Amino acid sequence: MTSLTASRRSGRTLRHRLGAVPRVVAWIVLSVIVLGPLYWITISAFKGREEIIRSTPTFWPETFTLSNFEQLFMSTEYPVFLTNSIIVAVTTTVVTVFVSLAAAYGLYRLKVPGSGKIAGIVLLSYMIPGTLLIVPLYRTLAGLELIDTHAGIVLVNVAFTAPFCTWLLRGFIFAVPREIDEAAAIDGAGPTRTMLQIVLPLLLPGIATVAVYSFVFSWTEFVFASQFIVSDALQTLPIGLSAIIGQYTVNWGLVMAGTLFTLLPTVVLFLFVGRYFVGGLITGATK
Amino acid sequence: MALGTAAVLALGACSGGGTDGPDAGGDQELVLWHMEGTPNRVAAFESLAEKYNETNPEYPVTVQVQDWDQVYTKVAGAAQSGKQPDILFAIPDFATYVRNLGLGQSVTDVVDSLENEYGLIDAAKAPYQDDDEYWAVPLYGMVQMLWYREDMLAAAGVEAPTTWSELVDAAAALTTDGTSGIALPAGKNLATDQVLYSLMVTGGGANFFTEDGQVDIDTPETVAAFDLYKELLQYSPTDSANYAWGEPQAALNSGAAAMAIEKGQYLAPFAEESGLDPSQLGCAPIPVADEGGEPGSIYYSNGAMVLSEDSAKQAAAGDFLEWLLEPDNYGDFLNAEPGLFLPVTSGGAELEQWRSNEVLTTYAECVDAMLKQSETGELFGFVDGQYIDAVGEISGQNFLAQAIQQMHVNGMSAEEATAWAQEQMQAAID
Repeated sequence: MTSLTASRRSGRTLRHRLGAVPRVVAWIVLSVIVLGPLYWITISAFKGREEIIRSTPTFWPETFTLSNFEQLFMSTEYPVFLTNSIIVAVTTTVVTVFVSLAAAYGLYRLKVPGSGKIAGIVLLSYMIPGTLLIVPLYRTLAGLELIDTHAGIVLVNVAFTAPFCTWLLRGFIFAVPREIDEAAAIDGAGPTRTMLQIVLPLLLPGIATVAVYSFVFSWTEFVFASQFIVSDALQTLPIGLSAIIGQYTVNWGLVMAGTLFTLLPTVVLFLFVGRYFVGGLITGATK
Repeated sequence: MALGTAAVLALGACSGGGTDGPDAGGDQELVLWHMEGTPNRVAAFESLAEKYNETNPEYPVTVQVQDWDQVYTKVAGAAQSGKQPDILFAIPDFATYVRNLGLGQSVTDVVDSLENEYGLIDAAKAPYQDDDEYWAVPLYGMVQMLWYREDMLAAAGVEAPTTWSELVDAAAALTTDGTSGIALPAGKNLATDQVLYSLMVTGGGANFFTEDGQVDIDTPETVAAFDLYKELLQYSPTDSANYAWGEPQAALNSGAAAMAIEKGQYLAPFAEESGLDPSQLGCAPIPVADEGGEPGSIYYSNGAMVLSEDSAKQAAAGDFLEWLLEPDNYGDFLNAEPGLFLPVTSGGAELEQWRSNEVLTTYAECVDAMLKQSETGELFGFVDGQYIDAVGEISGQNFLAQAIQQMHVNGMSAEEATAWAQEQMQAAID
């Protein structure tokens, strides 16, 4: 009897393990697809110029060198680009969170007349291709004396992140029971206090999602930053790094080193808040 | 509330980081835009600007780097807002685009002055002449050559080709399981435009416009050049459809390809990237068509336009550009990218400051060959004194490269691709 039970258990374990094979294979394949380019960028950044273009690739640097990083920090304005990107991304994130939270709360929580139509219009504005707006935006920002300023880029970024983030917060706001508002009102809390002290803490996962989205959008934004910034001292990372690729000549090692150091901040960010972001996107999309 | 305050403070904090717009950027400042973003070129131009500013000019120069891919829309936006730079680096077709935006001042007096002082190469100044005025000051030239690996040709017993048929034979002979005979770009980009046009020049098809500015590319000479390109692509790496400038150079230096057609940027990194002695980099003029062929190549005259509408700034910009071409400064300017930037003044080739650069001394024969090739250089839209206003529409959309893709990716014949190019180009300028 004991032997039979053990045999059944062993069979179930084997079936369980065999059943996991497709999942493990899929996991490995996906990891290679996703992490493969990242790995290749990383090891290429440590290769010399001859090895990096060799027609038979090496999967580990034979001529380990830090010269690409040295050149990145000594010959380019990478620290300046990095500082500018941080300023623009953080400010965009803060403003986006503030604007989209206020908008989403008003549209989806308070009884504002016509809020349904306004919400539709907000989402529609997100769908306008940005490149069509370059010249009108240039004229607008020039009129506001915001060409070649970080504030101009932040405003444009917020104009594109806030509509989507407002919609994204919809699911989180709907998930908070309205009875909480009524209970707070009975206890004497006004709308502002209800929002800030009662509802806002419950929306923190949504706020984290919006913050990560707007940060990544701003960090990788290229078109507007390339158009509205003209001074070298104000350029962000995507613009600065595209310039070092240059016309006619490509220093592949330098490009790889620059790419690696551009990816790092977002990778670190995702290591800490990535799971909230993915969960938040699903929540925002399904509620 | 705290969040809102933080947002406002943060936005306010970052609004002070900028300068004013370019043309409004300080009445006593000349803002210069250039599109040479690689670190060594940026450093060289900034160093020259500093040197100029140390002479205490009334209008010091501030250099700002832009990207070729973005500058078309950027300058259009700037023009509409009156925020254009005072000086803008340009190539002839881009200059027509800028002028069509309503920008650009005549620099005839500056060009005449430089002509009298140093002499200017015709191929460098001619593309900027229209309505009896010059619209840019030529600063440096670029020309294409056939580059090849001496070691690979020697191993295969192949001589450097001088004609189209020899080029095809060499590419075939040099193609093995592991290597390609030649690496050609076939992406939708300017690199492909330029290589094809060099072959059109040496096939007698340099001029593809009629006297009244209409497109006339569907000719036997052009069909022959397209046909040659298609044939050569058989011996080019299989991913050529994604190639621009960097990939053929990497293929040549790594030994994945034995030949390539490009400009003088091949000199500086060759030894380091290939691990070979510099003598293993061979160079030759672009092979010419077996019948009716003539020596030549695409030639790019890079110049500077003056966009400021302020007459005092225009004069100051002219002073700066004349200063750049003074013998004490011009060599340093050309050495921003040694081998790629060629002199446009008659005596520039003999400048010790330029010639003594290590890259130029190492590859002196190829440098001389490029200078000679420059003499027969051409650029579409500006052949034999032409000035086609709409050429920027054609080069900006890479129709030549798109026609190559029609053959390489979509299987069109050379005749079909040429007819397609004719139709597309004409529609673009109508």
